[in-house]
Amino acid sequence: MARIELTEIQKSWGAVQGVRDVNIDIADEEFIVFLGPSGCGKTTTMRMIAGLEDPSEGRIVMDGEVMNDIDARDRDVAMVFQGYALYPNMTIYENIRFPLRMRGVPRDQHDAKVRRAAEFVELTDYLDRKPGALSGGQRQRAALARAIVRQPQVFLMDEPLSNLDAKLRQAMRVQIKHIQRELKITTVYVTHDQIEAMTLADRIVIMENGAIQQIGTPDQIYNDPANTFVASFIGSPPMNLIEGKLENGAFRAPGIEVANLPTRHSGAVTLGIRPEDCTVAGGSPHLSGTVYGVEPTGDLTYLTVKAGEKLIEVKASREYRASMNKPETVTFDLSRLYLFDTTTGQRLS
Amino acid sequence: MTSQRKKAKGESLTLRYLILGGWALFCLAPVLWFLSIGLRPRTEIITAQPIYFPSFSLDAWHMIWEDWPMAAYLRNSIAAIIGSVIIDLVLAIPAAYSLSRFSYKGRDDIGFYILSTRMMAPAIVAVPIFFLFRNFGLLDTIWALMLIYAAINLSFVTWIIRSYMLDIPKELEDAAKTDGAGEIRILWEIIIPAVLPGIITASVIAMIFAINEFLFTLLIASTPDAYTMSVALSNFTGGSDGVIYNAIALVAFLAFVPVFLVVVAIQKHLSRGLTMGALKG
Repeated sequence: MARIELTEIQKSWGAVQGVRDVNIDIADEEFIVFLGPSGCGKTTTMRMIAGLEDPSEGRIVMDGEVMNDIDARDRDVAMVFQGYALYPNMTIYENIRFPLRMRGVPRDQHDAKVRRAAEFVELTDYLDRKPGALSGGQRQRAALARAIVRQPQVFLMDEPLSNLDAKLRQAMRVQIKHIQRELKITTVYVTHDQIEAMTLADRIVIMENGAIQQIGTPDQIYNDPANTFVASFIGSPPMNLIEGKLENGAFRAPGIEVANLPTRHSGAVTLGIRPEDCTVAGGSPHLSGTVYGVEPTGDLTYLTVKAGEKLIEVKASREYRASMNKPETVTFDLSRLYLFDTTTGQRLS
Repeated sequence: MTSQRKKAKGESLTLRYLILGGWALFCLAPVLWFLSIGLRPRTEIITAQPIYFPSFSLDAWHMIWEDWPMAAYLRNSIAAIIGSVIIDLVLAIPAAYSLSRFSYKGRDDIGFYILSTRMMAPAIVAVPIFFLFRNFGLLDTIWALMLIYAAINLSFVTWIIRSYMLDIPKELEDAAKTDGAGEIRILWEIIIPAVLPGIITASVIAMIFAINEFLFTLLIASTPDAYTMSVALSNFTGGSDGVIYNAIALVAFLAFVPVFLVVVAIQKHLSRGLTMGALKG
């Protein structure tokens, strides 16, 4: 429905810089997710797209039109908030109808549009209730219905599922993706939950300290991280990052030795390996240490091995069990190793 | 075991009712005493000996309605109070909205200045107020009473409503903006309904202050055209008849009734409003 271009966006409050040098081109109908820890600038960036904050510098363009000086109410965007933001004095019907009234949609179309939006989120039985009489999941669906009722050009969703329990969150995730695909509306979604980001996004924008760290598809972000921040932020447990020395293609750190690495770099580097790319024991182990912790989860076992002072996470088989401090070896999948510059954190080719 | 628990629960309930009943009686005693004074003959009230079985008399009732324009006093009171509360709300709601939801230079100073108007003794401004109203030709009018009551109460009405507005999540306004609403619509359709308990609380307190106001009413009102109930009380003292206690008691009771009825009618909102205000600080 709309293409959004953010060019050289900066946002600062006095000496505090919230967002710096943000450049993104969001395609029409794309589902893009801003992911990052609290305070990384993702919500501020979304609020600037909504018109709720003014950028200090840079341009926001929607479908070729510069939006910087256009009020939030005059931008064709709909926003879903973390706290639902349903109007407590109105029934769910009136809440969903509110944007239609404000945008001057002819009155005779209201009822049909409200009921259609409510059907979309399976909320038709609750239209005459006040928000206070609904559960968290129902309130979130009501907020979604209010966003979709007038079919805006852009959906903005600010951590819409963070107040829901895990089961409901999963169900709502599926529903949000379904609605977005059905309505084909460009969607910007903010979250700090990597599972939400990975499952919903066409592309993920990873942010830290107000700056973009990487933009890519979920596969690119997971398999081809640009730096140690991205590598450690995505994945559960996160990627193991081991600081050591590289000499003549051999990486060494206390208790760890990986030879024959296809790289010409040398010196201080950080080696990255995901827990699922580690195998307990194996033919020619790269790590020798002791068992620090064993956490069975049912479908697999999380094993923590101590090598030198470093704790390495390994995803072991569901049957794996070991006693504390037992000597253990781990083999790395050499095709899934990553090397990063220890000083800058950037990925080495 | 169950019967023992039931018995203990019953005893605890009786104790609770006894304590609450005792407290209610303590609070109502002055009102009932006033009513009893108002409905007794004057001779019984000023006697030195206690009277255990007082006689009932409507002398004072007839006197206040027949010898004095009490209906006019009552009407003046109600008109001045309602008018002043309306003026207060019309001014205080936008002021509170501005103080609570917008950032601008000097905002906190303006808020403190508004509150500081309550910090001086009213008598200090009595003479300037008198000359001001005289110059505007408003002396001895209901309009002057409305304005002065509104001016006296405006600061705390603003601050009470402001404290409620501060508690409304910013997200509600942001949602309304992205839904297409302007500032006036947001205030009218989102903010005011959300702070209604605070508006009601502030209005009732303003009414109580207004009905009890004496100094400025005495200064401004000089004829029954503008006399209110509080000033009417002074009619029953110092004349050739001396202090007419039963008439004073009855007029005081009549002044109490309208506020009491308003409080009863909106009790639910008021208790919620007062509790919320307590939490907000």
